[in-house]
Amino acid sequence: MITSSPFQHGKQTVGDIMSLVIIACIPGICISTWHFGYGLILNILLATSSALAFEAACLLMRHRSLLALKDNSALLTAVLLAISIPPGSPWWLVISGSFVAIVMVKHIYGGLGQNPFNPAMVAYVFLLLSFPLDMTSWHLPIALENLTGGSAETDINLASLSPLSWQRLKLSVLAALPFLSTFYENPQSAIGMIDGMAMATPLIEYKMAGNSAILASRDAGQDIFSRQSGTGWELTNLSYLLGGLFLLYKRIISWHIPFSIIATLGVISFLFYAPNSSTVFGTPYLHLLGSATMIGAFFIATDPVSAATGNNAKIVYGIIIGLSIYSIRVWGSYLDSVALAVLFGNFCAPLLDHYFRPRVYGHGKQGNSGSTLRKPLLSLGDKIES
Amino acid sequence: MKLMRKIFSADKNVSYGRTIPGGIRPRAHKITSLRSRVMATPIPPVLIIPLNQQQGKASRPCVKAGDRVLKYQKIAEAADDSSLNIHAPSSGVVSMIQNHTTININAANQLCIFIETDGIDEEVPIPDTLDWRGMTSEQLLPVISNAGICGMGGAGFPLSKKIDSAIIPDIHTLIINAVECEPFITADQALIREHADEVIQGAQILQHAINAKRCLLAIESDKTDAIEALSNYADRDSIKLLLLDNKYPAGGERQLIQAATGKELPAGHLPAEAGIYVQNAGTVFSIYKAVVENKPCISRVTTLTGEALQTPKNFNALVGTQVSWLFDLCGIDNKTHSKSVAGGSLMGIELMDNSAPISQSTNCLIAGSLSEFPDIMPEQACIRCGYCANACPSGLLPQQLLAYSRCEEDELLAQQGLFDCIECGACSYVCPSSIPLVQYYRSSKERIISARQKKETSQAWQNRFQYHQYRIKKLKDEALSRTSAKPVIDKQQSADDPFSKEQAALEVAAAVARVKAKKGNVIASSAATDGSQSDGEPTA
Repeated sequence: MITSSPFQHGKQTVGDIMSLVIIACIPGICISTWHFGYGLILNILLATSSALAFEAACLLMRHRSLLALKDNSALLTAVLLAISIPPGSPWWLVISGSFVAIVMVKHIYGGLGQNPFNPAMVAYVFLLLSFPLDMTSWHLPIALENLTGGSAETDINLASLSPLSWQRLKLSVLAALPFLSTFYENPQSAIGMIDGMAMATPLIEYKMAGNSAILASRDAGQDIFSRQSGTGWELTNLSYLLGGLFLLYKRIISWHIPFSIIATLGVISFLFYAPNSSTVFGTPYLHLLGSATMIGAFFIATDPVSAATGNNAKIVYGIIIGLSIYSIRVWGSYLDSVALAVLFGNFCAPLLDHYFRPRVYGHGKQGNSGSTLRKPLLSLGDKIES
Repeated sequence: MKLMRKIFSADKNVSYGRTIPGGIRPRAHKITSLRSRVMATPIPPVLIIPLNQQQGKASRPCVKAGDRVLKYQKIAEAADDSSLNIHAPSSGVVSMIQNHTTININAANQLCIFIETDGIDEEVPIPDTLDWRGMTSEQLLPVISNAGICGMGGAGFPLSKKIDSAIIPDIHTLIINAVECEPFITADQALIREHADEVIQGAQILQHAINAKRCLLAIESDKTDAIEALSNYADRDSIKLLLLDNKYPAGGERQLIQAATGKELPAGHLPAEAGIYVQNAGTVFSIYKAVVENKPCISRVTTLTGEALQTPKNFNALVGTQVSWLFDLCGIDNKTHSKSVAGGSLMGIELMDNSAPISQSTNCLIAGSLSEFPDIMPEQACIRCGYCANACPSGLLPQQLLAYSRCEEDELLAQQGLFDCIECGACSYVCPSSIPLVQYYRSSKERIISARQKKETSQAWQNRFQYHQYRIKKLKDEALSRTSAKPVIDKQQSADDPFSKEQAALEVAAAVARVKAKKGNVIASSAATDGSQSDGEPTA
């Protein structure tokens, strides 16, 4: 078979890119687990296994090769979805989320590369609209102590348990798979857990109560590197930032989108913040580290399929997302907003790609590029002499 | 680059090119072929000289089968300024003149002169050397043009044509392109390393011939051996070294101009129109030979490399030497050999038939193994990662062009600059989904051009038909008027015959004008951009 140039190719494949992004998530996942217990790990296991199953089923139904599973894109979508679903959520929440992400958002639109919206975020918003209570409560084993006070576990002092202890793992599994409680000695306690344990993100706390544990602990001068700081949000965000910097270093993502999101958010929250006032605006600190900002900026908004592609377009895309994150958080009725903001950015992406095209070599302003229509044959001879 | 900046920090004759946008840094594969010196090949038993080695018209053979030819004897003449004089690379007998496979993409199977060499290498008498410094450019240019040199950078633009466009008096800069950024190719580097003096002199001759004010010799900064050889000469006269960051495709003509001057060549313009003239290092070496030694171009330095060759090296090979013969000379291992490529690995062409002869623009021959040229990965879906856009030196959005190419949106393709694509292959190189982007663009370009040609042809035929109908009607009318008219007038008219030459010419001109007007009208109605708003319906 005759082939044409180039004959030499770079080594990086789509599968490599996706797996590097997953690897970059690991520090964040570890910190989350260290802080909040096993809920996130269970989410990830449920989401990845179900997403791979849905992906395989879709590929078979579309008569595509199952080798496409090797591109790891379903895996990455599942991981990102699992991270955004509150730990301790029941199994059906996670699995219906991955169904929406893989089947409805990705494959119905034509599979990898064809979806106009970020699958994980559409699934997140779908769950948020359908199950608002589950999606805004963070079911945490750490809150169990109040509930299980009078139950069979009385003999164990839960408060003294580390989030990584065996007992906590058992409770996390029960929270994720409540049907297992039928095999449990005291079914009531497990069911009770699902309803009652809730913990909001610091930003939600702040919006609802005017203050949050994260700020309180900062004011109290507590070390964010210990579990006693009340929440693990700062550390989690910093570890996602670390993962994002790794991706930048590996040139998997470019700096444009994360930088413009973080800069926009930082600047606008600084401008609106009035110290010592009781407004709901929140400090820049809270906006950048108190919620899902870092993972949104580095991992979710940079999803290449649904994002803008040109570098100029990417900056505008990041600014749009940064502004929407802030406005939805502060003036909107939804509590956290990265998913909605990214989806809004996705809506704008094709337009941005159209209007912020890079200037083509040898053409003045963008408008001139049409001139090639009239005299193209001249440039045909311009083969490279190298 | 940093090292070079340090070494030449005080040297005023060394400048540094700007980094071009985009580009890639592929594995170079250059070391193996640079280990040994450039070697002249023995005389091959048969030379197959293609009559069309460049982009342009084929030359006309001026020998016939059975003739004995001597080395440097002219065996084919240029048909026009886009073709070359061709000279016999060695002495022997013309065995036949017939079609053969060649490397030229524009004429894969073309007329070639076959010379069975006799091994004596008998030369035609060579005139005395010329003193080029005393010659004017009007005297020098014909000497260079007659030597039958074409651009040796790979694209094969005929030198005479390039020089013609260079006579525009406001050429101010001559750039000698020795960048050689493409992997595998080392011909220019080896040539400069060993013949820096000749290359510099060739550049001076060319500069003198086109009256350029300054001359830059552009080379990648990591080619230390060649730079060292050059730096001994760089301070001489006005030739300056231009060191470039080693990035592919910094050696593309347009990219090189950008790196050297910081300005972009306007789309659709030739470098000469911007006052810049770019010529390859191998070409100026041939100019040196043509002017100083009075020898026409019959050979070139070609890199033979690839893992399947036991002794990869650079050869000064005669034009017309068969690729397979050269491969055998380097000890080809047929077990590991999987693909033969002429040119570099990023812009070269795959050779289907190794019996093809090399031409003047063949700068590299690669006998690649499977590990060098692995099988093509199956094409996956585009994830719009944008790596291609970051690699594109022309500022295009390859992923958008791909989408438009797939659905044949020709208008949008042209708008988004498909014809500004230089086919360097950087986008395909970086694509993580292994999409052969350049192939999509090539086929789209071909489709658009052939559609345009088809449209033009049909338009021409339509015009002819309309004129035909007009003429018949006119004849009928005239026949009618003749029969109804008086015989006296008839006689007068026969003197003023309607078919006399002037009359016919006038009518043709009138008809053509009408048809043109109509065509303008058609175009105006289909595309409002056309300025010729004429309502000239043919009145016939």
